[in-house]
Amino acid sequence: MKYILMMNTMKAGRGVPSWPKKDLQSHITFMMGFNKELHERGELVSAEGLSFPDQAKLVRAGKDGRPITDGVFPESKEFLAGFWIIDVDNPQRAYEIAAKASAAPGPGGVPLNMPIEVRQVMSGPPPDML
Amino acid sequence: MKYILLMSGTGAGVEAYHAWPKQDIEAHMAILHRINKDLTESGEFVATQGLAEPKEAKVVRGEKNGLPVTDGIFPESKEFLLGYWIVDVPTAERAYAIAGRISAASVNMPIEVRQFATRESKS
Repeated sequence: MKYILMMNTMKAGRGVPSWPKKDLQSHITFMMGFNKELHERGELVSAEGLSFPDQAKLVRAGKDGRPITDGVFPESKEFLAGFWIIDVDNPQRAYEIAAKASAAPGPGGVPLNMPIEVRQVMSGPPPDML
Repeated sequence: MKYILLMSGTGAGVEAYHAWPKQDIEAHMAILHRINKDLTESGEFVATQGLAEPKEAKVVRGEKNGLPVTDGIFPESKEFLLGYWIVDVPTAERAYAIAGRISAASVNMPIEVRQFATRESKS
């Protein structure tokens, strides 16, 4: 079963690079070790980080089909900061992995305990819609 | 440059979609398949996924003992990721054009376009 683990951030979440350098380094070291462990267990499908929310654009099709871009978002909007796709035997294992990501170290090495949204990835559209 | 095109919506929006006439859902799916095929042929396609329904979503936090704490209660207004496309394109404008096409195929839903983090975009 494939699951996506999503790490969301508020727009103000640009604060990460302002951490002391050693705290940022421990956070990155943790994430690299975490990804390596998932890879070695054969559970990692992919992991990606996204660029900062200030570069995000919202696109809609105009009447002529041309894209209309907008970069203004409500203050309350949560932005995807990064995600992991994992392939595991059951949802409990997905939750265990999410909890580990949640506990990544923040400033002063204190676990961030950030919320990680866990969603199953569909293998395809329902057969009656193909 | 790799971009991710994110399609999001509320739980209520997903329920409304399920109530569409079958032929409209089929037409919608057919255009999305066509877009995937075109992107594959132009070499811009990296990946696409649909996610299971918002009502099955969980939010997980690590507790002090490291055990996962799950919660499935969300505000009504929360937007959930419904699916995404990852494309590899030469310019941001091309990513916007593809997002516009997906939007036009999906009742002009807004599509969030984000570049993958690179050394350049982080600096």
